[in-house]
Amino acid sequence: MEELNITWAYPDILNLHGDRGNIMALERIAKQMEITPNIKRINQYEEKIDFENTDILFFNPGELKVMPSIIQALKEQKEALEQYIEKGKTIIVIGTTGCIMAKETKRINGEIIQGLGYLDMTCEEREKVYGDDIHFKLKEGEQEIIGCQIQMIDTKIKEDIALGTIIYGMGNQGDGTEGAKYKNVIFTNALGPVLVKNPWYTEALIRQAMEVKGYEKRNTLDFSLEEKSLAYIKKFIEEKEKVPCTQK
Amino acid sequence: MGKFKFYIALWSAKFVAFVINRIDKTRGTNKSGQIACKMCDSFISYFKNIDYNKVIMVTGTNGKSTTVNMIAHTLQQAGKDIATNIEGANLITGVATTLIKNSTLTGKFKKEILLLETDERSLAAIHKLIPGKHLCITNLQKDQVQRNGDPDYIYQKIKPVITKEMNIYVNNEEPRVKSFEDFAGKTIYYGMEKNEKSFEKTDFYDVTCPCPKCNDKITFEYYNVDNIGKFSCNHCGYKSEEEITYKATNIDYENNTFVCQETTYPMPYHQPFFIYNFVLCIALCKQFGIEEKDLQEAFASFKNIGGRLETIHYKTKEIKYIRMKQENPETLQSAIDYIARDKTPKIFMLGLEQLVDFPPYYTNTFYAFDCNFQELIDSNVERYICFSEAISYDTANRLVYSGIDKDKISILPTDSDEEILKELDKYDLDNVYLITWIKKYEELNKAVKK
Repeated sequence: MEELNITWAYPDILNLHGDRGNIMALERIAKQMEITPNIKRINQYEEKIDFENTDILFFNPGELKVMPSIIQALKEQKEALEQYIEKGKTIIVIGTTGCIMAKETKRINGEIIQGLGYLDMTCEEREKVYGDDIHFKLKEGEQEIIGCQIQMIDTKIKEDIALGTIIYGMGNQGDGTEGAKYKNVIFTNALGPVLVKNPWYTEALIRQAMEVKGYEKRNTLDFSLEEKSLAYIKKFIEEKEKVPCTQK
Repeated sequence: MGKFKFYIALWSAKFVAFVINRIDKTRGTNKSGQIACKMCDSFISYFKNIDYNKVIMVTGTNGKSTTVNMIAHTLQQAGKDIATNIEGANLITGVATTLIKNSTLTGKFKKEILLLETDERSLAAIHKLIPGKHLCITNLQKDQVQRNGDPDYIYQKIKPVITKEMNIYVNNEEPRVKSFEDFAGKTIYYGMEKNEKSFEKTDFYDVTCPCPKCNDKITFEYYNVDNIGKFSCNHCGYKSEEEITYKATNIDYENNTFVCQETTYPMPYHQPFFIYNFVLCIALCKQFGIEEKDLQEAFASFKNIGGRLETIHYKTKEIKYIRMKQENPETLQSAIDYIARDKTPKIFMLGLEQLVDFPPYYTNTFYAFDCNFQELIDSNVERYICFSEAISYDTANRLVYSGIDKDKISILPTDSDEEILKELDKYDLDNVYLITWIKKYEELNKAVKK
């Protein structure tokens, strides 16, 4: 059986919003696709990431205060990281952790976090947290993604790198864009966990990661439970009281 | 001008409180405080005769109310004259209401000790006006993310309040709150030793938290409650203290007692998180000169108000309701663990419900992915029922991800009490457990009584 190598970066440090579920989703959907998932945890900064044997590198959301340490740890493997990205291999960063891939992030206290800059975007910490549902359409393909968002940072992107177009919710900063993508470095604000709630996207991400390795097999998966969930949440969003989502 | 406004606000508020009290004693708990704070900026700062050395504030994610109840009960039993906001809100208006109630017409505070439960986000604003010297911080956990974001967001709100002039009381086994030791004048640690209810987490998917001092990974040797236990950071060496003054030892769950500083105390509530509350109460009350004998007597007679467990009798069924706070994985996990201890056949009902606290309402269920369901699954659940108009399928999916067969789950995309009870009628089992938020429980309880 084909194998999918997932590296779960700093699970204890990037531990917010139940997003360990994203890794569970990758494991579950890969198995349904008849692919063997191998998941490796990178627990501490001093541990090196084995980029050669990684197909998906995953960063869940974490507190902003830990981001400089993560950026520093990745800088120490910069060459390998750059090669990994240029080969078209997949990196996924969720929520606040997006700022590690940004050019810079401005914190409320004036501190500037210099990011790795692989995504052409800047972030700014918000005074007030903003929590809401998020519903968007991917720019590549027709897939719809649903989730929640706990906005701690606003993100300004160069429009052509948006991951998706907002149907409902704040997205990056209330400007109709959601997330960002460069090659296969993907940033999204969507929580849920997003890969649990949107298994069609999980399947697409696994397929994308496997295609780099020449895998082409297709089988039909049953996402009926998640499809029903999507329908009920869309209805809830349609009927709920709307509030402006740009307030800081 | 400020003083003049204060007196007008105070008298108006006292009059409103008097009128409300005449009409209905159960209503308008914080109305007087709300009015006063609207009429006068910094209203609570104008009260006279408050000894800041005798002001106690209790904040933190979980356990605030229980701790304040316990401290209030103990101090009162020991003959201390106290004012507290137990029955009111833990925001600035609740504090104002407490002061209005316990002051003269000239704004003179009439009690010896002021004990305040304080919302984490309101602490700085309250403390700026009433700079109390004793601050208890129970724990900082993931909670109400739509308001609170993440634990560090709240940490940064509490940090500026702590000064070298203060005594802080922190859980020795909770990494975040313990790290406030760097900013306080005196840190009083409390904790409990490893006991028969302590546990380890060994699942591949278990996660801990970042070190509050160096941001590397925290490791727990064991847990006494979820996210709280003996910990250390391999990188910077930060860890829970080995020897602390206020530590529960010899915890005896059969006889409901524990020992602290060679004195045996009764514990009428014996879940581990209660033991932390008891020891915090000892640590605090000792600073106020309370004797062991008074503490023992107070604990023996302590009754927690607004407990987390209620029972609904429905036909032949006994529905045991365990309260959880939405968006608070720790309370959801505690509820799950409580049910898992019952190994007899049961029905398990889970209504996480959409969040309707304040607009925008939303459909957060992700905190359930911070919880583990394995022990529940192993505890003989015959039927799972997930309900909620918008998120029953999401809730069910969390259970599916824990390995529960889809066929064992009833999914009810409705908030109709009638529909939920109708589903329950289909099964012969009388042993039923329900986890949902308080409002849904009250609705269901009302529907059953009808």
